[in-house]
Amino acid sequence: MSGYLLRRAGQSAVVLLGVAIAVFALMHLVPGDPVRLALGTRFDQAAYDALRERAGLDEPLPVQFLGWIGSAVTGDLGVSFRSGEPVTMLIVERLPATVSLAAASILVALLIAVPLGTLSALRPRSFVDSAGTVVSQVGISVPEFWMGILLILLFAGVLDWFPPGGYVPLSEDPVGWLRSLVLPALTTGLVSGSVLTRFTRSSVLEALGADHVRTARAKGLPARAVLRWHVLRNALLPLVTVTGVQLAYLLSGVVVVEIVFAWPGLGLLALQAVQDRDYPVLQGAVLLFAFVFLLLNLVVDLLYSRLDPRISA
Amino acid sequence: MRALPAIAALTAAALGLAGCGAGEGVDTGQGSGGSPGEGGGALVAAISAQPDQLDPHKTTAYASFQVLENVYDTLTVPSAEDQTMQPSLAESWETSDDGLTWTFTLREGVEFHDGSELDAADVVYSFNRIIDEELANSYRFTSVADITAKDDRTVVFQLKEPMPNLLSQVGEFKGMAILPEGAAEEHDLATEAVGTGPFTLQGSTASAVELKAFEDHWGGEPTVPAVEFRFVSEPTAALTALRSGQVHWTDNVPAQQIEALASDDSVELGQTPSVDYWYMAMNLEKPPFDKREVRRAIATAIDREAVTQAAKFDAARPNQTAIPEGSFWHTDYEPFEPDIAAAKKMLADAGVSTPLRMGLMVTSEYPETVTAAQVIASQLEPLGITVDIQTEEFATWLARQGEGDFDAFLLGWVGNVDPYGFYHSQHRTGASNNYQGYSNPVTDELLDGAAVERDQDARKKLYDEAAKTIVDDVSYLYLYNPDVVQAWKPGLQGYTIRADKAVNFENVELPE
Amino acid sequence: MSAAADAPARGRALTAEVPRWRVTLGLLARTPTAAAAALVLLTVVLVALFDDQLAPAGPNDVDVQARLQGPSAEHPFGTDDLGRDVLSRVLLGAQVSLRVGLVAVGISLVVGTLVGTLAGFYGRWVDSLLMRLMDVLFAFPALLLAIAVLAVLGPGATNAMIAIGITYTPVFARVSRAAVLGVREQVYVRASRSVGASDARLLLRHVLPNAAPPILVQTSVSLAFAVLAEAALSFAGLGIQPPAPSWGGMLASGRGFLEQAWWMAVFPGLAIFLLVLSFNLLGDGLRDVLDPQQRSAMEAGRRRIRSRGKAEAAADARGAA
Repeated sequence: MSGYLLRRAGQSAVVLLGVAIAVFALMHLVPGDPVRLALGTRFDQAAYDALRERAGLDEPLPVQFLGWIGSAVTGDLGVSFRSGEPVTMLIVERLPATVSLAAASILVALLIAVPLGTLSALRPRSFVDSAGTVVSQVGISVPEFWMGILLILLFAGVLDWFPPGGYVPLSEDPVGWLRSLVLPALTTGLVSGSVLTRFTRSSVLEALGADHVRTARAKGLPARAVLRWHVLRNALLPLVTVTGVQLAYLLSGVVVVEIVFAWPGLGLLALQAVQDRDYPVLQGAVLLFAFVFLLLNLVVDLLYSRLDPRISA
Repeated sequence: MRALPAIAALTAAALGLAGCGAGEGVDTGQGSGGSPGEGGGALVAAISAQPDQLDPHKTTAYASFQVLENVYDTLTVPSAEDQTMQPSLAESWETSDDGLTWTFTLREGVEFHDGSELDAADVVYSFNRIIDEELANSYRFTSVADITAKDDRTVVFQLKEPMPNLLSQVGEFKGMAILPEGAAEEHDLATEAVGTGPFTLQGSTASAVELKAFEDHWGGEPTVPAVEFRFVSEPTAALTALRSGQVHWTDNVPAQQIEALASDDSVELGQTPSVDYWYMAMNLEKPPFDKREVRRAIATAIDREAVTQAAKFDAARPNQTAIPEGSFWHTDYEPFEPDIAAAKKMLADAGVSTPLRMGLMVTSEYPETVTAAQVIASQLEPLGITVDIQTEEFATWLARQGEGDFDAFLLGWVGNVDPYGFYHSQHRTGASNNYQGYSNPVTDELLDGAAVERDQDARKKLYDEAAKTIVDDVSYLYLYNPDVVQAWKPGLQGYTIRADKAVNFENVELPE
Repeated sequence: MSAAADAPARGRALTAEVPRWRVTLGLLARTPTAAAAALVLLTVVLVALFDDQLAPAGPNDVDVQARLQGPSAEHPFGTDDLGRDVLSRVLLGAQVSLRVGLVAVGISLVVGTLVGTLAGFYGRWVDSLLMRLMDVLFAFPALLLAIAVLAVLGPGATNAMIAIGITYTPVFARVSRAAVLGVREQVYVRASRSVGASDARLLLRHVLPNAAPPILVQTSVSLAFAVLAEAALSFAGLGIQPPAPSWGGMLASGRGFLEQAWWMAVFPGLAIFLLVLSFNLLGDGLRDVLDPQQRSAMEAGRRRIRSRGKAEAAADARGAA
């Protein structure tokens, strides 16, 4: 068990290093010069050279990389070219918006997926099942940004119930926070919900077919009790883990939805950093995304290996 | 009305939640339960972008200057009406007969936000910071030999050559802000501010910057107790917030909304021509655009009215020169009349065979360039020119511009106060922003003469002549001057919408 | 052309003895959703082929005077901010979406399957090295990776294909590796090896054909993602260059005119949705037909080990959207 854990953690560390190298190389391949961008259209050569030196961009690339990765290990992700602020601080500033949206989306997704998926599984090939299938197919086929636009048109335009975009911090105004969250969370939640619905359905089906459930049924336990005590509990763990994977995705910033709703999350931070050629910010953000992704995947794997020792073989 | 929000904010703080519901009925920045000091009565302004940083000497972002305008002062300041330079921290100035020595006398009793008093050493420190650290604006001092403090209230500029535009070079915008001596060493100016302006910087987050009235401001305490700049990139969101009273002011007004807003009673619309201009430039080092006649044919084929309408609806005016009517530096000159037949003939006369291909580089950073390019493409098609629109990220765009890797590009030039700033570096042979590679000895001579001409009217005449040669040679193909468009809550008093887009809330009074 | 037309050609390679493609097609036709999806796809292909004849106006006929007109007999989908006919642009956008989707998935398919097959077949360090490389790509948020690649290559249709292709390569590598692992130890493969068949022959004759069904299913599903990704990239201004009509680009410009002209954003979005839905439904249908043990096993239960694969598949699905 611990051998498996160590091996998986080691693999993840290697992948993380790979991501670091890849993002560093990618950013330095991108044409365009952060120094020019920071100086705007009017400047002279001396100012250019001075800023370049201050940003450490005059050093050879390997030196820059080692310096960056060296301090990244200690949690210091460097300083933004654009704002002069520490990258960790910029990320922390964006966390509330991203975490709010991710949490709300998962909530919406589960509210859709658990009832719909369970009902579909209990009555396979029934009307509910087909309806569930269609709904989830529609959900994963809708472009998120279009969905967002439609929701804005309806709920912000015609009905005027919710703001069309923008984020209100929870600490400033809880009601405003909730209102600002509804439309973006619906948008991403519907898509996540579609994925989870299909997954819930198959997990519940699987649990229904499990030996002890058959036994319980054969013993004549009431259907409701069987559902609650045996089926749902067994279906829960796989659902929790796949929800974790969805969460990793949502936490790494849903760029297009953030554009549509002017949501100041990590996705927009990263996109802006690409556009600004703000290497430290993009590198820091991608490293964080990869870290969260790998960590949650590791947790998912471990949960499964606990459940079924064959997997570690 | 003023007491209510204060109570709401207090209760909210006590309960750990901020002004629910209460904010809806009250037209203050209730959303900002955490606003400083008095809590209520704060002016909330929705700006479209987040400032990159708040060091006035380092930032080049407009969003930063919207905030900094209210926090820092400069020696001189452009007037709200016609952008001529007026006293600010400098009370008066004198020029020596040879134009090489300028002596500024500082205002008395000016206090910084940290309580220290402004003296000449602060001015010398601030400008030397820009020069010695070679910051973005150091190019403004290339003709300055040295800056010294003669006594506490007197600053002397020694110049290498006359600078008739020195006043605008040191006061055009808050990028030339005066800091107290040693400020950069004692503070992190990217996030903190020590200015002399009407407001102090309280703090900034990912969604807003908060300012508080500075009681000891030399011009008197501002009327509102606090200002909050909120970043609202989505225009619809900004306008909705304005209508519902969550914000009092915004500049995030898309051109296509102006018509609807003009008849909307819940919003007051401000619109005034800006001194910005948008233009197309062709690469004079690449055939066939090196031929003056080819460029003139293109200038004749383009219908500026349609381009302007498409890009900016009714929020811009077509112009064949740089600066709009109403500005002192406007040149009244319109040699081109859209005429495809004439353009075709010019192209044929130039000995150029069609079809021709022209790459037109635009940037998603400024979507109006993408829109304008599509109209220009459709207008040049009947001329036999196929336009490949190349939408680049701005960083790539700038890199390609710098390398001369383009046939033509579209961009704007903003905040033009003094003609030296928008003619020399763009059109003088070999100048730093002359990316199109324009070179005409006649233009050079006119520009060089104007640069050192100290008589304002004579200087204007030289620039008029230079402008005409620039337009005739199509060094830039000027397209239009956009309007400054802002909207605020009806009844907001004491705010002036300015052609240079400076946003100053010093004298603003909130509506009851 | 479409995945529907693709299926038989591919099916032929599966086995020599039975015309499996016919069986597949017949089964598929009996699944109503998949059949409907195939029909929609066929329509889109026809539209893409004959768009010039179908479009009532040129896609780039700018007429600033006639801009922002609502749907009417003359302009069934209205006009956009430059006065262009939205219907014509939607019709012409079909070709763009299809082409980018097909080429991008083609890239992922070829590269990913090659990597996955090699990794699965040779195992050991080849496997570790290749799959860790794929993991690195996979750990990037998909859209951000595509955006970064496009920033390097520059915007445009061709580069968008490459960027999307790179992004979805790891998915194909994983799927094909798993499939190859599944057949590698089968009796007939071992038998061929023992009689001294070369690696290349083994791969081509035995391993790949039997790994084909899951890859085929993945192809259909990936086409859906690729169309979405192209739309998202063009929406962000990095994909297809204006004035060429692209659904994502039309949506992006329509977004600024929601209050004045809902039709600018609604119709291109609908087009993307229909195309993506069709690819997904077809993919689902193919899964049922080609991989029946998966579904029957799913409904019979006892599939815990494979559930892990499903968690990953769910992650794959989501990372792409």
